Amino acid sequence: MNSATERAARLLRWYPRAWRERYGEEFAQLLIADMQERPRSAVRTLDVARAGLAARVAAAGLAPGLSLAGQARASLGALWAALALCLALSAAMWSQLAIAWRWTPGNPIKTPTLTTGTLTTGTLTTGVLAFIALVALAAIPVGHAVARDFGRRLVLPALVLAAALAVLAFGGHHFIYQWPGTGGRGGPAVPAGLLAFVWSLTYWFSASWGHWSYLSGLSPQDLAWMAVSPLALAAAVAAAVTLVRRADLPPRLLAYETRVAGAACAVAAVFLACCAAWVYAGGTPGPAHAGLIDIAGTALLAVALAAACQARHTALRTMRLTGRSQ
Amino acid sequence: MRKKQDDDKPGLAGPATLILSSLADGPKHGYALTKDVEAFAGVRLAPGTLYEALARLESQGLIEALAAEDRRRPYRLTAAGATALQAHLDAQRRVAETGLRRLRANWGTP
Repeated sequence: MNSATERAARLLRWYPRAWRERYGEEFAQLLIADMQERPRSAVRTLDVARAGLAARVAAAGLAPGLSLAGQARASLGALWAALALCLALSAAMWSQLAIAWRWTPGNPIKTPTLTTGTLTTGTLTTGVLAFIALVALAAIPVGHAVARDFGRRLVLPALVLAAALAVLAFGGHHFIYQWPGTGGRGGPAVPAGLLAFVWSLTYWFSASWGHWSYLSGLSPQDLAWMAVSPLALAAAVAAAVTLVRRADLPPRLLAYETRVAGAACAVAAVFLACCAAWVYAGGTPGPAHAGLIDIAGTALLAVALAAACQARHTALRTMRLTGRSQ
Repeated sequence: MRKKQDDDKPGLAGPATLILSSLADGPKHGYALTKDVEAFAGVRLAPGTLYEALARLESQGLIEALAAEDRRRPYRLTAAGATALQAHLDAQRRVAETGLRRLRANWGTP
């Protein structure tokens, strides 16, 4: 392999695999011809890097660039992956804030007064419950469509999804009352068990990673769960996205999923506004104090919501073009 | 509403117009396209930009790939591509004619 061929092969790595499979050989020939005319060119390298990253963004469903049939599914997958991250962050902040609020000195647990804290936790509770309901509304018809046309290409992602959900359900239940703070204290709006379960599922979202003395006091099982649970969550989301991208979903279902996702984006926006207001105010003194982890979580929530909105825009545009071409 | 309609149109900005204009003369592969565009427009399309536009035009159905020849794949204009190019160039011509007419009237340029 000569120098130009090697350099062309290196430049091709900027592009996603599917793009390389389709255009890689002919693109490499063009690069080699270009290198023979201009042996060294930083502009060419930057141009290939930029176009390669743009192709990766398109392959992720965040921008146009794929065939219309694949684009809608890719965008829908990216949309729900971003919303899953929104839900995970929202649920983590909600459960920790709600439980911390119940432990705040002087806070009446049974009959909360109308304060900023109760308003925030109340809105976040409503938001999380609405978010979970919307995820169920989206998942049920997709699950039905996948089950109806189940083929070999869906076996692996379906198995990974089932395994990841089993790990989350078992682990979340196993560690439900082992964390400090859960303790079975409930309230009028949310059952203590639900709060503790969500806390257990999302305890990886914690400032304790930065406190060695606290971490060293946890058992190996607790530490393993803190490491495994986000991986299981990521595996579940990746497997669900792969199912959506590989399944033959009818256009009406894609349109329905996009509408439900729009409602979920609105819920996430309310959630973001609440979290931002709470973080901006510095939280409340005591256990419900907003820390660096909450600022990072709110910023990440904003990025995930922006990605979800971008993916939804691409999905809607693709569906309009698909409808017009039929 | 107007913005939504514009978003839905296949984009013919920049490289797309040059590529479609080149393919209007017959099928070409990537390197031949670069050389032809350089000759008639004085613009050298960088490889990444060229294939980004080719992939997008192909996904929009405005061009189509032919069988590969010696590891190079030629592309040709489709009927939809010819229609889109015609509409785009007509619009560009109206803009150019209006600008030239106003320059002659107000600035005395020939």
